[in-house]
Amino acid sequence: MLKNHLKIAWRNIKKDKLFTIIKIGGFSIGIAACLLIALFINNELSYDDHYQKKDRIFRVVMQGTMDGEVLKSVHFQRLFAETLESNYPEIEKAGKINTSELFGAGKRALRIQGSSQNMLDDGFVFADQRAVEILELDFLEGNRDEVFKNPSSIILTEEKAQRYFPNGDALGKTLFLDDNTDKPYTITGIVKNNPAIKSHFDFDFLLVIEDKNTSWTTTNYFTYVLVDENTNIPALEEKMGAILEDYFIPAQMERGMGEDFMEVLKTLEYKLQPIGDIHLKSDIKMGDGLKHGDIRFVWLFAAIAGFVLLLAVINFINLSTAKSANRAKEVGLRKTVGAFKGNLISQFLTESIIYSFISFFIGVLLAWLLLPNFNSIADKSIVMPWASWWFLPIIVVSTLVIGLFAGLYPAFYLSAFKPVNVLKGNLSIGSKSGSLRSGLVVFQFTTSVVLIIGTLIIYKQMNFILDKKLGYDKEQVLVVQGANLLNNRAQAFKERLLGLSEVKEVSISDYLPVEGTKRNGNSFRKSASGTEERSVPAQIWRVDYDYINTLGLQMKSGRGFSKEFANDSSAIVINTSMAKKLGLDNPLGRQINNGQDWTIIGVLEDFHFKNLKEDIEPLTLVLGNAPSMVSVKLANGVSDGAIEKIKGIWNDFVPNQTFEFTFLDQEYAQMHDDVKRMGKIFNSFTMFAILVACLGLFALSAFLVEQRKKEISIRLVLGAPFKSIYQLLTLDFMKLILLSILIAVPVGWYMMNRWLEDFAYKINIGWDIFLMAGFIALLVALLTISYQSISAALLKPLKNLRAE
Amino acid sequence: MLLQLKNIFKWVNSGGQRIFLLKDINLEVEEGEFISVMGPSGSGKSTLLNVIGMLDTFDEGEYNFLDESVHTLKEKHRSNLYKEYIGFVFQSYHLLDDLTVQENLEMPLLYKKFKGSERKAMVADMLDRFNIVGKKDLFPAQLSGGQQQLVGVARALIANPKLILADEPTGNLNSQQSEEIMQLFKKLNKEEGVTIIQVTHSEKNAAYGSRIINLLDGRKV
Ligand SMILES: Nc1ncnc2c1ncn2[C@@H]1O[C@H](COP(=O)(O)OP(=O)(O)OP(=O)(O)O)[C@@H](O)[C@H]1O
Ligand SMILES: [Mg+2]
Repeated sequence: MLKNHLKIAWRNIKKDKLFTIIKIGGFSIGIAACLLIALFINNELSYDDHYQKKDRIFRVVMQGTMDGEVLKSVHFQRLFAETLESNYPEIEKAGKINTSELFGAGKRALRIQGSSQNMLDDGFVFADQRAVEILELDFLEGNRDEVFKNPSSIILTEEKAQRYFPNGDALGKTLFLDDNTDKPYTITGIVKNNPAIKSHFDFDFLLVIEDKNTSWTTTNYFTYVLVDENTNIPALEEKMGAILEDYFIPAQMERGMGEDFMEVLKTLEYKLQPIGDIHLKSDIKMGDGLKHGDIRFVWLFAAIAGFVLLLAVINFINLSTAKSANRAKEVGLRKTVGAFKGNLISQFLTESIIYSFISFFIGVLLAWLLLPNFNSIADKSIVMPWASWWFLPIIVVSTLVIGLFAGLYPAFYLSAFKPVNVLKGNLSIGSKSGSLRSGLVVFQFTTSVVLIIGTLIIYKQMNFILDKKLGYDKEQVLVVQGANLLNNRAQAFKERLLGLSEVKEVSISDYLPVEGTKRNGNSFRKSASGTEERSVPAQIWRVDYDYINTLGLQMKSGRGFSKEFANDSSAIVINTSMAKKLGLDNPLGRQINNGQDWTIIGVLEDFHFKNLKEDIEPLTLVLGNAPSMVSVKLANGVSDGAIEKIKGIWNDFVPNQTFEFTFLDQEYAQMHDDVKRMGKIFNSFTMFAILVACLGLFALSAFLVEQRKKEISIRLVLGAPFKSIYQLLTLDFMKLILLSILIAVPVGWYMMNRWLEDFAYKINIGWDIFLMAGFIALLVALLTISYQSISAALLKPLKNLRAE
Repeated sequence: MLLQLKNIFKWVNSGGQRIFLLKDINLEVEEGEFISVMGPSGSGKSTLLNVIGMLDTFDEGEYNFLDESVHTLKEKHRSNLYKEYIGFVFQSYHLLDDLTVQENLEMPLLYKKFKGSERKAMVADMLDRFNIVGKKDLFPAQLSGGQQQLVGVARALIANPKLILADEPTGNLNSQQSEEIMQLFKKLNKEEGVTIIQVTHSEKNAAYGSRIINLLDGRKV
């Protein structure tokens, strides 16, 4: 019987080529899309999954409320980790890492002892011995238990070790950072690169923490703990509160914090975040500066994958039942000669499972071909898990399940035909299921329109971000990296650059309004008004005299730094948010204090120095030396000539270090890459969805035309004009598409509003977007249907009637 | 007695009106009979045949088939009954276009408990009997109307039914082809004792039967 089913199924698949191609094509596309998203989700979920003691590793988070707003922080004092470890027996180990550029994490120039060449490289992170143990780093060379026992130790990844020491003799070698020969680093370990392992923080170089700071008010370290088995976490969190009482709050009091601040301190508490939650479930408020995934996107993508697959299944159902008139005769006949309903159901299910198998084969192949593109869009390096033990079983089971699922309705539907109706020839079957088919078409197009709306809104927000008036001028600013190698010749370098006609302004400062540059958080009080005053947390950036002009920052009142004023070394320029937070209407001339007194000489218009997801926070500028980046404002646009000249000067100064530079506008755009990626991903899957929906619509309109060929022929013979036939065949579909648009608009609006909530600065969703999305859907649908409608309206009527 | 219809009524409701398709039909059929049903178009011949074949239901009356009371049977039993005992021949042949002659013949056997080898033997036997061995791998579209109907009759016979119901089996055939089919029916009836009920418009074809039933407006006359 099975052999017979297979034979019949195969003949049917071969018979109607258009329908078969569309059924299988739609199915394959759906499966490919679904598979890609599934791999993406699997990848996102597999972060920090590799620790043997995963369930016992936590990152400490401090949270509290201030003016009704939740504050969260993952930065702690240097002493915090060791205090935790010694005060709480259930904490087996506590370790810390530091990813702050302020301390020298991020980009550094490195030089191998014995070589003269400095090489700029990224991925420097600080850690202590405990962190290495807790995070279970896997060493190729070196002993995990003592790599960081000594100061001036450095750990390299396998990849970097191979790059800088191709002979494989890295261990024990000496490195200089930023050409500082006073502090040689010794390579004490090489960590395996395992592409299958993904961690919430990446590094290429680990430097041992040598900080001796014993203050309980400066917080720079992520702190990780390994707790004993069966530790009661809420109880431990509660107990950890004692650290606030015993160390943190007294230290703050000693600094002279006022009553207001005490209110905030009282709300503080420690939480332990499971290490597995860090990648997907971290709050942007924690400000850890790491690249995170977002659990909501994982869900969103899962939903999209589900929908695309559902669209494909719907296509299958739709096309199968649409063709039912052709199968009805077969069903009727088989029943009169003795077939039972069960026989027919199993026959149709066999058929749909065969479709499913072919489609899965093509779909998996398609996913494999598209994976490189997908990886570049999603910024991932996913590989097809061909060899994973679970891959094949999952594919086979999915094939069966989806084949059954897609075949179930058509099977029951078709096998229920009464032979007498079929034999009598009254086959109203096509129209009977018309409303179901319409419903499915509406569903498909609603999904497509929602995705179109999503894509349009993401793109609009992206353009908004790129075109946003930021309060500084990011265009034509070239940033020279690694300039700390200039040492005390930085000023001379600056003068030489200013001598070029292509250069308008030059500023030396590591603090720039893009990610990956230095940040330094402090708290300020109005110094005159004493200890009652609550402190205002604010950035304090060290800049030079030309910073404000180079970046094109706008003064609101007062002035910027000037060499004409001898005491500008204690002058401070603040932004408008800072003035507001301080509650100063007339800030000029007032003094503020962060342990040192500063006189406010100017107020800047607010400018965006963070991701647009975040509000503009209080910021202050003071004169100071932060010499690893030199920003060069070009006079007549960016040209190779200008870059060459700057490079020439660089080579005069630092011949043993390659000239490395970035552009400020590009760094700004990169900062919002996640939005761009999201847009691209959305765009791709929208294409998938529309393609599947259109394939379905095409086949369906082909079928309806086929079904009405006789009617159309008669109308044509009776003199119906082309236009009326075209309308007859097109109008019904267009009504369905319009209905889809009506349903999709509120859904899309709601969904994208939720997405935009993430941004402190965002577009308004206007009607134009919905009109545009609707227009696209209508146009695509119209084109799809028109092919069939037009060819029908151009029928040669006599030929069709004679055939009857 | 093979089957017995007692006071059979069948109607449809249309616009508050009851339209009778069959009115008070009484009929007894013995095994081995060859009956021709005649009547003008729309008189209810096909309806009657479908009722006898249990493909269609009726609204009033009794129907006994081989001592089973069809009117009291559940749908499922009823279909089991006709699947076992009745073979159908249609005016438009109703062969499956996607199957070869051989496969069309085999189809009814697939739904009964025959082994593959048995099926093969039975199909071969039929092909032989109907002299169409040479056509076994052709598809219906490659056959003439007469040949198609030959296959149709062979398919109806292959599972050894007691009764063959044929609704205008020669309606689409020319006179020579009709003649052949009628001869075949006659032979089956005489030599193998198969009971046959056929609907026909042709006096000549009707004459092959042993008895003629005339219908007019759903009534036996
Ligand atoms: N489901 C139905 N609803 C309403 N009327 C019906 C239905 N089925 C059949 N009829 C009517 O019953 C009458 C008998 O139909 P039937 O097909 O039995 O006629 P027939 O004698 O076979 O005619 P022909 O020689 O043209 O095949 C016809 O008038 C037909 O229109
Ligand atoms: Mg009839």
